[in-house]
Amino acid sequence: MRPTSAALRAARAHFTAPGNRRGLLVAFEGPDGSGKTTQRKLFKTWLQSEGYDVVTTKWNSSDLIKPIIKSRKSVRALSPEEFSLLHGADFRHRVEQVILPALWAGKLVIADRFLFTGLARDVARGLDLDWVLKLYEPLLWPDLVFYFAVSPATSGRRVTATRTPNFYEAGQDVTQVDDPVESYQRFIARVIREYESLALIFNMITVDAEQSIGEQHHLIRRLFLEGRQRPWSDWNADAVAEWLQQARNGAGR
Amino acid sequence: MTTKKARAPKAELIAVDGVDAAAVLADARAALGAPARGGISRWDASGVFQELAVADETAGAPSARTLLLLYAADLAFRLRWQIRPALAEGRTVVAAPYVETAMAFGRAAGLDPKWLTNLFRFAPRARTRRFVHTSPARRKKARDGFVGFSCDRLAAVRTKQERLRMVDQTAALLRRRDR
Repeated sequence: MRPTSAALRAARAHFTAPGNRRGLLVAFEGPDGSGKTTQRKLFKTWLQSEGYDVVTTKWNSSDLIKPIIKSRKSVRALSPEEFSLLHGADFRHRVEQVILPALWAGKLVIADRFLFTGLARDVARGLDLDWVLKLYEPLLWPDLVFYFAVSPATSGRRVTATRTPNFYEAGQDVTQVDDPVESYQRFIARVIREYESLALIFNMITVDAEQSIGEQHHLIRRLFLEGRQRPWSDWNADAVAEWLQQARNGAGR
Repeated sequence: MTTKKARAPKAELIAVDGVDAAAVLADARAALGAPARGGISRWDASGVFQELAVADETAGAPSARTLLLLYAADLAFRLRWQIRPALAEGRTVVAAPYVETAMAFGRAAGLDPKWLTNLFRFAPRARTRRFVHTSPARRKKARDGFVGFSCDRLAAVRTKQERLRMVDQTAALLRRRDR
């Protein structure tokens, strides 16, 4: 939806009004086994103790789309394109139903994985980065993105220590390797390569996820305190204005 | 003695687009001719929208963009399991609807045409494109198919008049594409 200039003005005015505690979006990115979830939980608890109203959103968790993806994953019926498009739909629905309403209300949103997960995994599956990135338009850029960097060996060791990776997690749909552990090792190496490129392109804050949990947590706190004063990114104007128009049109429903 | 070379069957992708699902299907049957020639690939072969139809309302209404991402996922499924295998066997496939219906719906919802073009970049061009135009009275009744389904679910479409306007706008855009 091409937003009207009135919606664009309203979006800018809301997020740049002086004196407002504006909503903040912080994304945690990284491969499986990088310790993101542990750090996300610690970070959330700390933020709440600092008085922030925190909302968490996880990858592939839209109430509307998640069941559709789950049923298809269980029968291993997804091609890379279908996998990408369904995750894109899940993301869009969460942006409209969870993330933007929370940001508009001045809350702090922690995204446990963001669109970069889709990009890294889809490109590792052989899809074109440009095509995938455009699926996520209008783009919503987080205020901060923490990238938890681990080697493929560490990711593989941590993940397989407690469980066997599932079919898509192991990338068996594209590696054609029968053994999920071996497939995971090959696939995660490709995913990490894509993540590292994205971390550079999109200026993510790289956290050495091989460090201790405490060291990482204190680093995240410090970087958050330094970064939270960043001005609102006007790159997000289209995404907010589109959502605002939809919300206003559907307000009577 | 003369030997005749066996003629390779001619594979063809025919797209039939329109807002009235029943009329689109009737035209698809006519376009196909003898059923042995091939088959018809219909909307929601993957069952994505069937699942959406029974989703809990508390999950929140989808936007036009979300619905189009789902349409594209369904089309990727149709291409993989119906359209490409049939074409590889030299058969004719009628895709009813194909890309144009979804593009017109997206434009009627105000989405950027560039975004729509990128979304369907993976779909091969149909050799023949057919458009089915129906009267406003028929469009009013049309509830099946992607456009009717989507208009019934969009949060932005609140009244019968708004619904009809959206369907009519989609139909008008398809008429323009037919020129």
